[in-house]
Amino acid sequence: MRDRILESKTLSYSVAIFVLSLMMMPIYWTVVTAFKPDTETYVFPPVYFPSNPTFEPFRLLFEFYPFMDYVANSLIVTVSTTLIVTVISMMAAYGISLYPFRGGRVMLLTLLATRIIPPLSLLLPFYLVVSYLGLVDTLLSMIIANIYLTYPFAVLIMKAFFDNFPREIIESAIVDGCSRTGALFRIVLPVGAPGIASAGIITFLWTWNEFVYAFVFTSTPKAQPVTVGCFDAIGDVFVHWNQMCAGALVAALPGIIFVFVAQKYLIAGLTSGAVKA
Amino acid sequence: MNASTLGVRRFRLSNPRYGLLLNIPGLLIVLLWVVFPALLLLAASFLRYDNVNPVSFTGFGNYQRLWNSRVFGISVERILVFSLGSTALTALGGLLLAMCLSNVRKGGGLLRSLMIIPWAVPAVVSGLIWKWMFSPDFGVVSDLLMKARLIAKPLSIYSDPSLAMWGVIIVDSWTRIPFMGIILLAALLSIPEQIHEAARVDGADTLKRFFYVTLPMIQGPLLIGLMITTIFSFRTIDLIIPLTAGGPGRATYVIGYYIWDQITKSLNFGLGAAAGVVLFLITSLITMIFVYLLREK
Repeated sequence: MRDRILESKTLSYSVAIFVLSLMMMPIYWTVVTAFKPDTETYVFPPVYFPSNPTFEPFRLLFEFYPFMDYVANSLIVTVSTTLIVTVISMMAAYGISLYPFRGGRVMLLTLLATRIIPPLSLLLPFYLVVSYLGLVDTLLSMIIANIYLTYPFAVLIMKAFFDNFPREIIESAIVDGCSRTGALFRIVLPVGAPGIASAGIITFLWTWNEFVYAFVFTSTPKAQPVTVGCFDAIGDVFVHWNQMCAGALVAALPGIIFVFVAQKYLIAGLTSGAVKA
Repeated sequence: MNASTLGVRRFRLSNPRYGLLLNIPGLLIVLLWVVFPALLLLAASFLRYDNVNPVSFTGFGNYQRLWNSRVFGISVERILVFSLGSTALTALGGLLLAMCLSNVRKGGGLLRSLMIIPWAVPAVVSGLIWKWMFSPDFGVVSDLLMKARLIAKPLSIYSDPSLAMWGVIIVDSWTRIPFMGIILLAALLSIPEQIHEAARVDGADTLKRFFYVTLPMIQGPLLIGLMITTIFSFRTIDLIIPLTAGGPGRATYVIGYYIWDQITKSLNFGLGAAAGVVLFLITSLITMIFVYLLREK
């Protein structure tokens, strides 16, 4: 009897739904608050189902803060970093995995070791370099930092995918007269697309979500990304919580979208990068 | 003739020089983006480097100062409490969700998506959102707990030190349960059904099978998940900055916040660098322990 209950689908669903509702509470609360007028925001007990939802917080967010600039900065930094990191890490992983060379193993171990170095520790040296190069408060400074923050994991994810790649396909392509680089573009890219997509999406999200380096490197809306904008401008002395939640929603949007449209790639990337490498 | 051509082509496929060539840009990244900053960090940790005195060599002076610093001692103690709490809660939550999700079919994809969402939210935004939820004046957390009759009046993590530590631990686990859940779910789904079947035939009940079949089978991924969660919790700072800023007092002043303070407020770069090296050493030690445990798997 006890076993029947423990193994029943009903129990699994109930527990999962209960725990997940708790975990979704912050998301729900952000969405609801972002559409509340002030009168329903600053009351206790709080209003769970707003009676007059409004776009006012969003309007104020874009009117009183340079929020458009923040979004643009984030987009530029994120897209550039993702392109650079995806291309370079794909080449590296393709080489390490399919054309073993002396030092490849060392390279891999170095990348793994890199993941142990706390990014917070390297914040200071990166800041010193960035200010020495006169790049403080530029988008380039964040692209530089995010390459460091995302590159090792991207290689590890793609290497895990390429390791499972059927070598015979490449071999037969080369026998058929395809060059090694041609094989990369014509066969490895299409067939290995899921691995590349996983690495690309995770790189994109990590860069978009990055805060610590961006906060130290930037000081004006000329370069500040969304995460810094949410914290620095809106989260300032007197917080307009409904506007803050509107900003938080904008900042969290790419992540939430990717979770729903690319769940498969996220899961594949996170498990392979962590477990197999 | 054909065979020998094939042989030559095969040889060409495993061309090490091509592999190395492809890795040159990556090698540059590793050298310029990791090795060089790491050496710079090490060098700075031996310098007297603040915004008052001229930069000078001080040997192990910064490390000595850390050793004698009461505040740094507190930050090490705080990070241990924080990391232990966060990792334990993450492991429990992740395992519970993974067990449930491995047992469901219909709607599993949606439930999985919901589970991952907290991972995808920027950590600093998580801190801001939870700050709003924990608000002592308008907070939804206080209200829900009061409605459940668990507390009598609104609680404030911003004035009660032990509540503050609980607060940051809960928020940190909220962001880390997804990753743990994903890894454990993959591990659970890869256990062949026949093994459970065999244990069932041998008369093992559900709990016995959990402890003697499931747990041993997912031990490797569980250890990896624990290792990553632990070393990542050591660098948690994004969500503490907006949530409690290390306070109240020094209740949530973890080692990461100490480094953050040296770099952004006290502007004592030498001390910040030394603390950065110490953080790296602690993380390496933890990693080595886990790698040792994993070796037997």
